[in-house]
Amino acid sequence: MVLFDGLLRLLSGINDRLLMVGRGIGIFAVAVMVAVTLLQVFCRYVLGNALPWPDEAARFCMLWMTGLMAPTAFRRGGFVAIDVLPSMMPRRAASLLNLLLLMVSLAVLVVAVQIGWKEVTGLGGRFASASLYIPTAVDFSAWYRVPRSWMMASIFVGVVLLILVNLELILRNLFQLTSDRDLPPIDMGQTQGAE
Amino acid sequence: MLIWFLPLFLVFLMIGLPVFFGLLAAPGILLLLNGQERDLTLLYRNLYNGMDSFPLMAIPFFMLAGEIMNRGGITHRLVEFSQAFMGHLRGGLAHVNVLSSMLFAGLSGSAVADTSALGSMLIPAMEKQGYTRKFAAAITAASSVIGPIIPPSGIMIIYAYVMGESVAALFLAGLVPGVMVGVGLMLLIKVMADRYDFPVASRKYSWGERGQASLKAFFPLMTPVIILGGILGGVFTPTEAAAVAVAYALIISLFVLRSMRVSELPDVLGKAGLTSAVVLLLVGAAMSFKTVVSLSHAPQMMADYILTLTENPLILLFLINLLLFVVGMFLDAGPAIIILGPILGPVFIGMGVDSVHFAIIMCVNLTVGLATPPMGLVLFVASAVSGERVSTIAKAILPFLAVEIVVIFLITYFPALSMTIPRLTGFAN
Repeated sequence: MVLFDGLLRLLSGINDRLLMVGRGIGIFAVAVMVAVTLLQVFCRYVLGNALPWPDEAARFCMLWMTGLMAPTAFRRGGFVAIDVLPSMMPRRAASLLNLLLLMVSLAVLVVAVQIGWKEVTGLGGRFASASLYIPTAVDFSAWYRVPRSWMMASIFVGVVLLILVNLELILRNLFQLTSDRDLPPIDMGQTQGAE
Repeated sequence: MLIWFLPLFLVFLMIGLPVFFGLLAAPGILLLLNGQERDLTLLYRNLYNGMDSFPLMAIPFFMLAGEIMNRGGITHRLVEFSQAFMGHLRGGLAHVNVLSSMLFAGLSGSAVADTSALGSMLIPAMEKQGYTRKFAAAITAASSVIGPIIPPSGIMIIYAYVMGESVAALFLAGLVPGVMVGVGLMLLIKVMADRYDFPVASRKYSWGERGQASLKAFFPLMTPVIILGGILGGVFTPTEAAAVAVAYALIISLFVLRSMRVSELPDVLGKAGLTSAVVLLLVGAAMSFKTVVSLSHAPQMMADYILTLTENPLILLFLINLLLFVVGMFLDAGPAIIILGPILGPVFIGMGVDSVHFAIIMCVNLTVGLATPPMGLVLFVASAVSGERVSTIAKAILPFLAVEIVVIFLITYFPALSMTIPRLTGFAN
């Protein structure tokens, strides 16, 4: 039990920190998305000269925002589900059902992470992005063309984080099934859909 | 064999599996059982490609714009504006509630944001004037569904992307239905106000005072003009219009009204990012799901089955409205559109229903579902804001839901109501 408790606290601590970093980068990504899209509007309609890179840069940021912020939403119970059945069941039965659902989710994520790794390291990832370059010299004399794998890694990283969160939620469920003690709560925050 | 992914998906949904995982698990399992393991990679690729889209970026941007306006005290000015014009009527604050929702709809496109922003201000004010708390919460929830019907609209962007429709056409088609819901609710309030002797909210404002209130609300009211005007005038794409709306909201909140501080920005960006991430993942999963829907020939089989029930399109549209309404009672509008759009859309479009008309029927019906018991999302938000029980609000909202159901059937059987504006502007055939 002590080992189990320690494992849960360790995983919870890791997730706390990783997801906090993820949210920070996600916030930055949202800001950059807005900024580069506005820059494109300005260049196209005011200067009459569209830039080649803002659309792709904004998509790059959106993918990373999704990959890094969705795990926080999952941990906070923000993934949409019809929870009528679990809410009508007794606590113990609901915990068992939840455990089953988390196992199904984990299976999906494990398959996804395997395919995701192959995709990122495979042929598709080696192609270069259409318009994204980063400077490799202080005087901007040399540039490196960003490979597509850097974009594709966003969802792979997101799936890895989702697996970590899923494992934590499984441990929390097991803990609830086997112990009457209360666990430190997860900061639930608020998430909603497009409605 | 592959077609069994649909019942399996329904089972997953019913037992409470998050929609995102259900959209991937059900087709994935059937592909494996069907010996099509290689197509699992296709599912993953479509998940990724489904999210890697510039038009989809309008979703986080509109959410961000709504969030900024909400924080920036813009809601307050809209309510003042509504009060100046409608506060003197019997049942004044109830009318103000509906008009404010219609105006707010032009800024945010979210029923949840509408309920929480207007409810926190108007429900206590209505109680103070003698309305029951359940009535105040019910009218707030009922009117908030106008949010995603009048453009901009998050769920219309999702529908347009998943089904390959024009965002501008859907936005334009939503204008009249949104106004119809608002006017319908006001007519019902008028009847109730006369019967139950509702209070007036304020004295009648002079035209000078109304002018001042309009001036104060000028900047927020310009937002829909900029968004729609920009899109229709061909100045911006919907995504760019959404980014411009963010910039506009930031400028008026930070510098004109000075009702928001720069230090609040990370929180606002974070909230919009978190919400958008969930929606974007769902849309990506929907694109994977759609692949298997096509591979399984589900729409054709569904069409064949539906035609065995009846070939009368009027009865079919009635049945589809019934189905959507029941689905809306249990599932939020966004996920419902993502799941049902690719299955039902091709069936009805194949039967000759205009694709934009079908989109509007689906969007309006599922949006009204946000306020239907037992799982209507805005009922829960209204309950949290008012402190009234969900079951009590659910009973009090029934007369208002009746009005909204009438509107659904009107737009279903009189396509001109929703289709005239997009047709006149050349965005629909």
